[in-house]
Amino acid sequence: MSNYLGNYSLYIALIASVYLIFKSYLDANSENKYLDKNFILITSIQTIMITVSFFSLVAAFVISDFSNETVFNNSHTLKPLFYKVSGTWGNHEGSLLLWLFVLSIFLFIFLLNSRSQDTKYKLLTILFQQVIISGFLVFILLTSNPFKTLYPIPSEGLGLNPILQDPALAIHPPILYLGYVGTSIIFSASLASMISGNIGDKWARHIKKWVLVSWVFLTIGILLGSIWAYYELGWGGFWFWDPVENVSLMPWFCLTALLHTVIVLQKRNSFKEWTIILSITTFSLSMSGTFLVRSGILNSIHTFANDPSRGLFILSFLFILILMSILIFFFNQNKISNAAKENFILSKETAILVNNWFMMFFLSVVLVGTIYPIFLEVLNGSKISVGPPFYHNLLIPFLIPFLIFMSFGPSLKWIKDKLKKFNYNILIIFLVSLLISYVILTKTENSFLLSIPLIVLSIYLLLVTIKDFFVSRSSISQKISHFGFSLLITSILLNGLFSNEFNSNMKVGDERIFNENVVKLKEVNVTDVDNYKSLKASFEVTNKNSSFALYPEVRIYQQPLTITSEADIKTTLFSDNFLVFNILKDDGYYNVRYQYKPLMIWIWISTIFIGFGGLLSVIRKNEQKY
Amino acid sequence: MSKNIKFLGLLLTLIIIFIILLKGLNVSKDYSNEKLKSKIDFSLNAKKLFSDEIINISDLFDKNSSSVVNIWASWCAPCREEHQFLMKLKDMNINIIGINYKDSPKNAKIFLSSLGNPYSEVIIDNDGTKSIEFGAIGVPETFIISGKTNEIIKKYIGPLTRENLIEIKNLLKKNA
Amino acid sequence: MYGKKVKFRALFIFLILISLVLTIFLVVKSLEENVVYFKSPTDIKNLNEIKNAQKIRVGGMVKKNSIKINDKEIFFVITDFKNELLVNFNGSVPNLFEEGKGVVAEGFLKDKSFLNADKILAKHDESYMPPEVSEAMKNN
Repeated sequence: MSNYLGNYSLYIALIASVYLIFKSYLDANSENKYLDKNFILITSIQTIMITVSFFSLVAAFVISDFSNETVFNNSHTLKPLFYKVSGTWGNHEGSLLLWLFVLSIFLFIFLLNSRSQDTKYKLLTILFQQVIISGFLVFILLTSNPFKTLYPIPSEGLGLNPILQDPALAIHPPILYLGYVGTSIIFSASLASMISGNIGDKWARHIKKWVLVSWVFLTIGILLGSIWAYYELGWGGFWFWDPVENVSLMPWFCLTALLHTVIVLQKRNSFKEWTIILSITTFSLSMSGTFLVRSGILNSIHTFANDPSRGLFILSFLFILILMSILIFFFNQNKISNAAKENFILSKETAILVNNWFMMFFLSVVLVGTIYPIFLEVLNGSKISVGPPFYHNLLIPFLIPFLIFMSFGPSLKWIKDKLKKFNYNILIIFLVSLLISYVILTKTENSFLLSIPLIVLSIYLLLVTIKDFFVSRSSISQKISHFGFSLLITSILLNGLFSNEFNSNMKVGDERIFNENVVKLKEVNVTDVDNYKSLKASFEVTNKNSSFALYPEVRIYQQPLTITSEADIKTTLFSDNFLVFNILKDDGYYNVRYQYKPLMIWIWISTIFIGFGGLLSVIRKNEQKY
Repeated sequence: MSKNIKFLGLLLTLIIIFIILLKGLNVSKDYSNEKLKSKIDFSLNAKKLFSDEIINISDLFDKNSSSVVNIWASWCAPCREEHQFLMKLKDMNINIIGINYKDSPKNAKIFLSSLGNPYSEVIIDNDGTKSIEFGAIGVPETFIISGKTNEIIKKYIGPLTRENLIEIKNLLKKNA
Repeated sequence: MYGKKVKFRALFIFLILISLVLTIFLVVKSLEENVVYFKSPTDIKNLNEIKNAQKIRVGGMVKKNSIKINDKEIFFVITDFKNELLVNFNGSVPNLFEEGKGVVAEGFLKDKSFLNADKILAKHDESYMPPEVSEAMKNN
């Protein structure tokens, strides 16, 4: 029943989409002053239909309706309700339906929120957005229909993959998609504003909200993915430069650049073309992310079912959209009026340009690292992978100038600033950061040369952003985000420099010495829990003054046979102690990995600060002072 | 003028990227290959699904003709998809031996009783070791094995399609 | 005023070009140094020379009865059913590291029959084999 409901709602939504495309195209070419009432009506119908479709899939998951193939493949009656619901978007078909659902909801909100805008601009935004929606509808109906039925109806589903049962992973895709889909509105709106010629400060104020919303969701989405990898995968890291991770980071760089550029557009009415280019690029990168992940073209540690025909569809669709936007860009470029403006080197505009340069540089590095293996394989057949050293070698040296710029760029004035007289505050802060870094660095014998300026500068920036809370005139949201960012950089650097680990094969009763601690494997208890066998190890870590216990676990699931390691992590404000073990051949040895990771929790906290700053800016209505 | 050049340049780059990605899509990501193992070790013993009796694998094969071996599991969705084609093969009086891969016998029996049983015999491979002998890594996979030489004549990775049926029939006729 | 603007623009374009060239140079250089090539044991046997500084990935099956364990290290043999390679590894193994299963080891070659691995990779999915492995096997 829910299968038919879901399926036919999608067809009705497609019909609505086609109608809206034609209608908005025709109306945009006529000189209508007002938006036809039908638009709101038909868009509402479409949104309702897609909502119905989405929730009928959710319902099928909740009641474990195995006559639905998607449910059969991805759910199981024994799953907790929470994971049944999250299973809806934990698979290819469902995640696309979620994409579509968010797309239509966002367009609806956009219509409600843009009453004061020019009619032609609104019509064109509807047109482009409906092109995207119809593309997704056709894609879903042709290649990835989540409402395929099975007969005879199986008695039990297959989806009990324990690795995927994690709260962070359950909400990670929807949050990330909210970010991705938000960029589609920016894309459609910037193309529309280009054609209708209303691009300028007023438009910037209107679109800034969407930029911020997408950026906040994308930030939090990336954070959740990273948290999942750290707690669930048990590799003891939060970022692996895996292609699937990279594709979410690339639009983030682009969107961060856009976030800053759109402010220039709003305040100074310049950077118009660049804003459009960034909007197009951001959305293209979000779509490419979907393409790269869903087509199976990537060699990633995260595997997804792949199907070339799906890849072909997304690829073609993506290129049609890019082609369309390039055509629109080139043929409407003359409509952009860039009034001659004076530019001075020392100004906020330049600082934002520099910010954009860095974002584009980071983006290019990640882009090359991600797609180079695909290109090389096609061109000469060699199989390669690009490892973390590639990214580190290219990104870390550039952090030094980046940190310097970020420490003074945000406080520059618009149009023209003067070199200030020697500022004692700055000197004091710099000396304090030197002192702190000295104390930190004496505690380690790190031979990495760049680490000295990096630590000094990141601590300096951290202190500057704290100082800004008291003296700077900029908005509170910017202060919070910038503070969060400097905290993130500092935590990542210190974490990277001071993390250490040992790997060993241990038998019960063995002891190893690590970081002046004694690590002892006391026992391993084997028990049968619901649907898996549990091997719970008990480790004791003793140092001079104190001791604590860690209980990592290995779970062996049958049907299908899956082994997972549950790390045990002792978290304090200063450091994480991470212990994970694994079974080897049956001769009593266990493979043990113990990691000491300082400031781990601050990586999560600082990212929340970054996102919170953005959120505050969305909520606060009169965020004019920037 | 320079605008047109810029435009064409961009267009050309895009097309090149498109073609490369398109080719990248078709680069094979199959799970295993045809020449992984060419001969089957027939001395293996295995348990039957329906009778719990332990037999030697060689007993399953007809020495004078070729047989089809299909590796499947009730939890595998593509297996469900290809099942109709296996039933068609059965209707053509072709001998199909099933290897039930990492499955529970209960589920496997339910699967066969609801969709039909195309196999002349099903053996149990609860830990995946027997399938490895065939060089299989995932499910479903289908092999054509010569009864005379014990050699793998042909291997299909992933679910069978309608086109494969005719090919299988011809191969069996040729190697009869 | 006009002259100043043109000058600014020229400087701007110049800076962009310089940074573009610099970026490309750095990216290409770093790629050359940090790319990890994928080989099968047979590929390694057929190598003419061994670059000690070049990191590689080797894919194949863990040979049956080949895993040896002591307090610190794990030894095992990777096979593609044609040639074999002895691997020594000190680190944490993934959940699916078993004899008779596919494996990818990353590290430095000591000679044509010995790999010092610092990482062992596996995939989430138990019926999954890294495409690299199947590709390497296919080529033999």
